[in-house]
Amino acid sequence: MKRNNLTLWLAAIPVYAFLYIPLIVVIVYSFNDSRLNAEWVGFTLDWYYKLFNNGEMLLAARNSLIIAITASLLATVLGTMAGLAIHRYRLKVLPVLAFTPIAMPEILLGVSLLLFFLQVLNLTLGMVSIIIAHTTFCIGFVAIIVRARLQGMDDSIFEAARDLGATPWQTFRLITLPLIMPAVAAGALMSFTLSIDDFVITFFTKGVGEPILPIQIYTMIKISVTPEVNAISTLLMLLTLVLIILANRLDAGALRGE
Amino acid sequence: MNRLRLTRWLVSLPPTLFLLLFFVAPSLLMIVTSFRYPGEFGGLAPLSTPEMDLAEGGSGLYGLTLETYRFFFSDILYAEIFLKSFAIATATTLICLVMAYPVAMLIARSTKKYRNLMVLLVVLPFASNFLIRIYAWMIILGPESTFSHLINSILGVLGFEPVMLLFSPFAVLVGTVYVHLPFMILPLYTNLEKHDPVLLDAAQDLGANRWQRFWRVTWPQSLPGVFSGSALVFIPVLGMFAIPDILGGTGDILIGNLIKDQFLGTRDWPFGSTLSIMLTLAVLSVAGLATWFARSRAASGN
Amino acid sequence: MKAGIIRSYLVCLLISILTGCTSGSGSGDNPSNQQDNILRLFNWNNYISQKTVERFEQMCQCRVTQDYYSDNEELLAKLAAGATGYDLLVPTGDAMDTLIRQGALRELDKSKIPNLKNIDPGYLRTKFDPDNHYSVPYANTITLLGFNREKITALGLPTDSWAIIFEPEYLKKIKGRVTVLDSQRELLAAALKYLGYSAHDTDEAHWQQAKALIIRAKPFWAAFNNTSYIRELAVGNLWVAHGYSNDMFQAAQDAKKTGRQFSIDFVIPKEGAVLSLDSMVLHRSGHRPDLAHRFINFMLEGENSAELTNLTGSGNPNLDARPYIHPEIIANPAIFPDAAQFARLEMLEDINHTQRRLLSRIWTEIKLR
Repeated sequence: MKRNNLTLWLAAIPVYAFLYIPLIVVIVYSFNDSRLNAEWVGFTLDWYYKLFNNGEMLLAARNSLIIAITASLLATVLGTMAGLAIHRYRLKVLPVLAFTPIAMPEILLGVSLLLFFLQVLNLTLGMVSIIIAHTTFCIGFVAIIVRARLQGMDDSIFEAARDLGATPWQTFRLITLPLIMPAVAAGALMSFTLSIDDFVITFFTKGVGEPILPIQIYTMIKISVTPEVNAISTLLMLLTLVLIILANRLDAGALRGE
Repeated sequence: MNRLRLTRWLVSLPPTLFLLLFFVAPSLLMIVTSFRYPGEFGGLAPLSTPEMDLAEGGSGLYGLTLETYRFFFSDILYAEIFLKSFAIATATTLICLVMAYPVAMLIARSTKKYRNLMVLLVVLPFASNFLIRIYAWMIILGPESTFSHLINSILGVLGFEPVMLLFSPFAVLVGTVYVHLPFMILPLYTNLEKHDPVLLDAAQDLGANRWQRFWRVTWPQSLPGVFSGSALVFIPVLGMFAIPDILGGTGDILIGNLIKDQFLGTRDWPFGSTLSIMLTLAVLSVAGLATWFARSRAASGN
Repeated sequence: MKAGIIRSYLVCLLISILTGCTSGSGSGDNPSNQQDNILRLFNWNNYISQKTVERFEQMCQCRVTQDYYSDNEELLAKLAAGATGYDLLVPTGDAMDTLIRQGALRELDKSKIPNLKNIDPGYLRTKFDPDNHYSVPYANTITLLGFNREKITALGLPTDSWAIIFEPEYLKKIKGRVTVLDSQRELLAAALKYLGYSAHDTDEAHWQQAKALIIRAKPFWAAFNNTSYIRELAVGNLWVAHGYSNDMFQAAQDAKKTGRQFSIDFVIPKEGAVLSLDSMVLHRSGHRPDLAHRFINFMLEGENSAELTNLTGSGNPNLDARPYIHPEIIANPAIFPDAAQFARLEMLEDINHTQRRLLSRIWTEIKLR
C-alpha cells in the first residue's frame, strides 16, 4: 500500500503544480518592474497604483459588485425554493429547468437571452439584463447545494413538526431554514463568485457604456497587455480565495456537489 | 390538505416561472429565429408584414424559411468546424482524464483530515477568474517567456526551427485542459471515495498485481465518475469561444467563435441561431450517449 | 454566525446602492438622463484629441463620455444589439448609409451649425447623404500599406503596390513580418483592387478569385490584426502592415519619438485604395441633441478640426483648418492625395444580406484554410 501511494504522489504532484504555477506566474509578474511579462526586473507596486487610478476599472469593479450581489440574492432565494421544492415534492419539470442551464455551454444561454431581450422584451441591454442572465444560471447551483443538504437530513424532523401542529411557514422558518442555512449561505457565496467571474454570458448580455470587470480584463488582454492585468487578476484571486474558503467552511460538500 | 397544496405551489412556482421566462422562452425564440430571414441591415426580417421593412429599404422578405439551414448544409466548411470542435473537446477530455485520475485517487485514499484540504486546493484555481487562467498561459507560452526560450533552444539543438507556442492549436488545447481539469477531478474523486478497499484487498489476496487490481477492480467501478467528469469537460469545451479567441491563431476558430461572429459581427441572427441549434443538438446527443452508457453499465450489474 | 452573514450581505448591498447613487459616475440607462449635462459620444479608437474634448467641456460646461469601436461592423452590431443613448456617432460612409436607411438618425438643424461652410464642397455631396440632412464630414482615412522603409528597401521590395502583401515571391522575404486588417470588407477590397476590380464589386466569381489570392498569401502573414500593428511597426517587429493612414501616421511618430534606427512610411498603392469618410451624425436615441449640435459646430472650427489631423494624421475635409495643420502633414500625399491619386480612391458601399452571408462564409473559409 505504501509503495502504491508513492507512485500516486509522483503522478499527482505535477498535476497540482500544473494547476498552480500559471497563477503564481501571474501574481509574481504583477509586482514586476517591466512592461513585458518576460523577465524579472525589479519589485514595484506601480501597477497597483495605476490600477487604482484607472477610473474605468474602478467603475467596472463597482458595477460587477452590484450585479453580483443582486444576482446572488435573487438566485439564492429562487434557488433555495427550487431546492426545497425538488427535494420535498419530487418534481419532474423544475429539475430540468434548473439544471440544464448549468449543463449547456454558456454561449447558448448568452445568445438566446440576447435575442430574447431585444426581440421580445425590447429591453435595453444594461445592468438589468446582466443581472437576469446571471440569476438564471446561478439558480441551478444553489438548488443543487440546498438539495444535497436536504438529502443528507432526516425528514422525520419535519413530520414531527407537522404533527405538533406547526404551519408550513413555521416549519420552514423555525426548523428548515436554520438547518439548511449553511447550504444556503454557501450557495449565495458560490453565486456571487460565479457572477463576478462570469465572462461568456456577460459578453452577450451587456449593454454599452457600462464597464464590467471581466469584460474590461478581456479588452485589456486583447488590446494592450500590461501588468495592470496581472494586478487586477491578483486582487480578484484574493477575493475569490476568501469567498471559497468561507463557502467551504460553511458547507464542505457544496463544492463537490457540482 | 389544501394548505399543503398551496405551499407546494408557493414554493415551486417562483423559480419555475422565472426559469420558464428566462430560460425556456429564449431557447424557443432561438429555434424560431433560426427559421427567419435576416434583416437587410442586420437583425431580422419581419415575420408577417413587409411594408414597413420595404419602406426602410428592406428586401421585402418575410416569414419563415429553411434557407438558413440550407446555407449551413450547403458547404462542408461548417461541418469541418464542428469536427474541429469535437476533436478539441475529445482531446481535452482524454488529457484531463489521464491527469485527473491520479489526483482523484490520491485524494480518495488520503486520510479524512487531509482530504478536505486537498479538494480545496483543487478547487481554488478554478475559483479564480476564467480569463485570468487563460491570460496566465499567454504569459507562459508567449514568445518572450522563459518557457518558450527553453523549448526553442531544445528544438534548436535538435535541428528544428523555432516554433511559436502561443496562437496555435497547442495553446488552445493547453488552455482548455487547464480550465476544465477541476471538472474532471471532482466527480472522479466523489466516485472513488465510495469504493470499498476490501475489494482491492481481496484481489491482492487472490494474486492480482497492482496493474490488474487497478484495471479489473478500480477502473470499472469508477466509470460513472469517468462519464460525469467527461461530460462536464466535453460539453463546455464544445461551446467554447474565449480560449481560441485569446490563445488561438486565426485558423483556430471553433463553433463558439463562429456563433459569436454572427451575433456581434456579421449581424446574421438567423444563421447564428441555426449554428446554436446545431450546437445544442450536438450537446444533447453527447449527453444522451453519456447517459445511455451510464445506464447500461448500471444495468449490467456493475 | 449565519445570521451575521446575511446581515453583512445586506449591508454590502446597501452600501453599493448608496455609493451608486451618490458617486453619479453614470450608469447609463435611467430616464433622468435629461437632467445630466452629458454628451455621449460613440467614436473610433484614437479619433479625437483629449485636449479638444476638454476644451469643449469647458466651453459648454458639460461632460463628454466616450465609448469606442474599432470597426464599422462593431458599431452597427452594437447599435443593432440595442445600444441606445448615444448622442453622436462617427460612422464611415457605408455604415452611415445603413443607419440612414434604417431611420436611426436625427435630422440636422443646419441653423445650429453655421461652421458647415468651412467644409470643402467636394466632400459635401456624398452618395449616401447628398444634401447633408444627417451628416457632417469629420475626417477621412485611407486604408493603405505602412512599412519599415529601411528594411523593405534593403530587401528590394516594391513599396507602391498591394503586390507586396499578396505575391508569394515578395512575401517569402518578409514571412511572419506582415499583418493585414482583420476586416472582411477591407481585406476583400484590397484584394479586389489588386486584381483590377472595383472595391465594391459584388460579382461572386470575383470574390472567389480574391479569396484564392488571400488564401495563397495567408501562410506568410503573421496575423490578422486591427490594433496592435501600430505598436509592432513602431517597435520594429513588423515590417509591412495593411492598415489605416492615421494609424500609420501614429506609428511613424512613435518610431521617431523613441529614436529608432528606422522610419515608418506609408503610401497609397498604385492600384488604388479604400477611402473612408467618417461623418458626425446624431443618433435618434440621444438625449442631448442640442449639445450634439454644439459639438459639431465646435469641431467644424478650423482650429479644432486641425487638432485632430495634427494629432492623428487623418485627412481633413475642412478648408478652414488648413492654416492650422502642420506643413509636413499637408505635404504628405498619403494623407492629402493629389487629384490623380484621389481618382483611384473608392468609398465602400453597404451590401445586402445575401452578399453579407456569402462574405461571411468566404471569410470563415479564409480563416480556416
